[in-house]
Amino acid sequence: MLLALLVAAASAWVPARWSSTDPRSLELLANTPVNCLLLERVSRDFVAAASDRQIAVLRVVRPGEDPGAIVKEATEAGVAGLVLEGAFAEEVAQQFRDAARQANWTVVELPPRARLRLNTDAPIVGTYEGLWPGIRALEGDAARAAPTGGPWVETNTGFLRYVRAVTDAAVWIANKPPSGSVLPVQRYLNAIADAALAGARWVVALDPDFDRRLHGRDAKALDAWTRIAAHLKFYEDHAEWRRWRPAGRLALIQDESSGALLSGGILDMIAVKHAPVRPLPRTRLTAAALKDARLVVNVDPSSLGEAEKEALRSFTRSGGTLLSGPPGWKFPPPQEGRITLEETDLERLNEIWREVNSLVGRRNLGARLFNAAGMLSNLLASPDGKQILLHLANFTDYPAENITVHVAAACHAARLLAPGEPPRTLSPYPIEEGVAVEIERIATSAALLLDCKP
Amino acid sequence: MTRRELLGLFAGAALGPAAQPPAAPVAIARVAGYDSGLEEAVARLFDQLGGLGRLVKGKTVTIKLNLTGSPALRFEGRPLGTTHYVHPRVVGAVVRAMGQAGARRIRLVESCWATGGPMEEFLLDSGWPVRALASAAPGVEFENTNNRGKFGRYVRFKVARGAWIYPAYDLNAAYEQTDVFVSLAKLKNHETCGVTLSLKNCFGITPASIYGDDAGRDEPNENPTKGRADVFHFGKRPPSRSAPQELDPSSSRDPGYRVPRITAELVSARPVDLAIIDGIQTVTGGEGPWIRGLKFVEPGLLIAGLNPVCTDAVAMAVMGYDPQAGRGAPPFRRCDNTLKLAESLGVGTTDLRRIEVRGLTIEQARFPFPT
Repeated sequence: MLLALLVAAASAWVPARWSSTDPRSLELLANTPVNCLLLERVSRDFVAAASDRQIAVLRVVRPGEDPGAIVKEATEAGVAGLVLEGAFAEEVAQQFRDAARQANWTVVELPPRARLRLNTDAPIVGTYEGLWPGIRALEGDAARAAPTGGPWVETNTGFLRYVRAVTDAAVWIANKPPSGSVLPVQRYLNAIADAALAGARWVVALDPDFDRRLHGRDAKALDAWTRIAAHLKFYEDHAEWRRWRPAGRLALIQDESSGALLSGGILDMIAVKHAPVRPLPRTRLTAAALKDARLVVNVDPSSLGEAEKEALRSFTRSGGTLLSGPPGWKFPPPQEGRITLEETDLERLNEIWREVNSLVGRRNLGARLFNAAGMLSNLLASPDGKQILLHLANFTDYPAENITVHVAAACHAARLLAPGEPPRTLSPYPIEEGVAVEIERIATSAALLLDCKP
Repeated sequence: MTRRELLGLFAGAALGPAAQPPAAPVAIARVAGYDSGLEEAVARLFDQLGGLGRLVKGKTVTIKLNLTGSPALRFEGRPLGTTHYVHPRVVGAVVRAMGQAGARRIRLVESCWATGGPMEEFLLDSGWPVRALASAAPGVEFENTNNRGKFGRYVRFKVARGAWIYPAYDLNAAYEQTDVFVSLAKLKNHETCGVTLSLKNCFGITPASIYGDDAGRDEPNENPTKGRADVFHFGKRPPSRSAPQELDPSSSRDPGYRVPRITAELVSARPVDLAIIDGIQTVTGGEGPWIRGLKFVEPGLLIAGLNPVCTDAVAMAVMGYDPQAGRGAPPFRRCDNTLKLAESLGVGTTDLRRIEVRGLTIEQARFPFPT
């Protein structure tokens, strides 16, 4: 019973890396939803003070640390659990798991993506490897650039959406700010939204300068921290959204062997185009899973078993469009330390992408967004199908204005929710494929909530 | 006689050696911003040109907007209309004025960058208030002329005697199915042509389906996804064979030679009846954010005239340039002077002494651009 309660609590943890063991530093967490701290060193006083505030403290363990010493330190401090961060030898990881079981600790494993353990009953699945979200800067000489395209957004959403599709566990991404960087607060808000868009949680981690200023109670740092807290709170206040299902009519069949653990792949390419797409792990490919799909992209046809092929045949017989990856092409197996595609793989992927792009064209596969360059979105539907939610995250350095959304559904009411702002009622108006909604402004993150006919 | 034949006649009526190119008045107004005073300024400009009614009453008006490049590319995060696109409020004010003057149909057109999709969607992607524009006057329509579009066909426009690059151009039929053709441009520089004004705006009337980098070899590609650099700027490949081909494929491949000539040819083939230049807010140093060295500026000016060469000549003078400058002089550092080329085709005069300026004087309006 106690373990069950602990597990339930662990799945609701809102994590942050914490550099201080001074109990007074916990005052910074007042009025924030952060309820779980990851520390490199722990002390009994600090853990007790955190516990008084219903904050769980986890001791971060790295490969090479002495398991005996760690367990002793953690036991004396009374932590809620351990975080195994890095590529642990299996027998060492098992030692920690065994110790944690005896001590009623939760173990959060944050391995490299290539060693992600998706088939466990752990309450939290995560990794420390992630891209730092944001707009990729123009390369080379700007004068050579053409008047084409839009900005590419570096994002972990494709990877996270796949992981969310595979597991019911809470998903953490624990990447740190790029080393040596001093970041504007907007970049942290982007990191929060990038994970939240996919129903995951980013483990808050501040750059050393920000961290130092925050703990020194610098006014600007405190102001930035307040904004970070407001964004975390926004997504935690609507935790039920994590249970909503992806609503896109474009399904992407992929698994770990066909690039699902990488970033910058086909899911991310489609996401930048704002075509609502839902990842469909190969193991979950059935005719029922394709019920609402109109277009299916099968990245690696050779990996399908007979039952899965039959599900796709049934889909195409019923009028669905199927696009398959190039014959004979296999993704390289996941590699430790590599989370993006090699140039050669990107070229092959581009072949699929061009076809996907051409097939999607102007089709409304759930929602179409206009004037949303530099943003990412994710379309979800409530379990009863009566509400549609469009997550919106703005990765540019300026507010996004005059965005139009065409929703392929019969919706009669719309509200725009945003961190730290009162809800705004919007007026949907009918268009050919459903309704259109006009959004005046999005600072960083928002969610468009529509009431619709199921 | 068909409208096409009429247009052909007009286009073929190049000047004899002794004839002077036409001159027409140009009006300049100061406008502080896009938020207030715009409609009054537009009305005043048109009054100074003799009134809109005589030009548009009962007519179909086609307005070519200047929407350069992908709407996804912003300069300093600013709205497109304040930098390198014409501003939607200027468009709205012009459309309203034309509606009030009795225009029967007002068609907003552009060969939208790298797409053959509906222009309304391109405008939405640009953050424009499409519904408001559509209701700004009776009979407002939108047409993406980057392919054959809603008309389902192309019309051939012949260049006046003296063409350099192409003898004729195949364009979306919207450019034929109109009584009045308006070039609504932005006051800005251009990397290849020195300036982007009402003449250079007409470079964009050409469909990428025929003149694009991914145009069909034999027939137009009705789903273009690229620009026109290979065909027009560099002459690396011909347009679709369905369209007239180059007069002399051995001629210079220098964009500074080709683009000004193509622009002049287009304006000769598809005459402009009204030129309007949005110089309220804009950029200097180039035509869009893909050009290094751009700077946001606020000249606070609207310029309009009944002849595009005259209008551009006055606009250039306002920018601090000599509209009769030759290649090598600013802003034509690496290109020929489009205005002079158009003048040589008999489109209009660049001689400021022959152009009556109404409203503000050139001196009053002067806003120097970089030299």
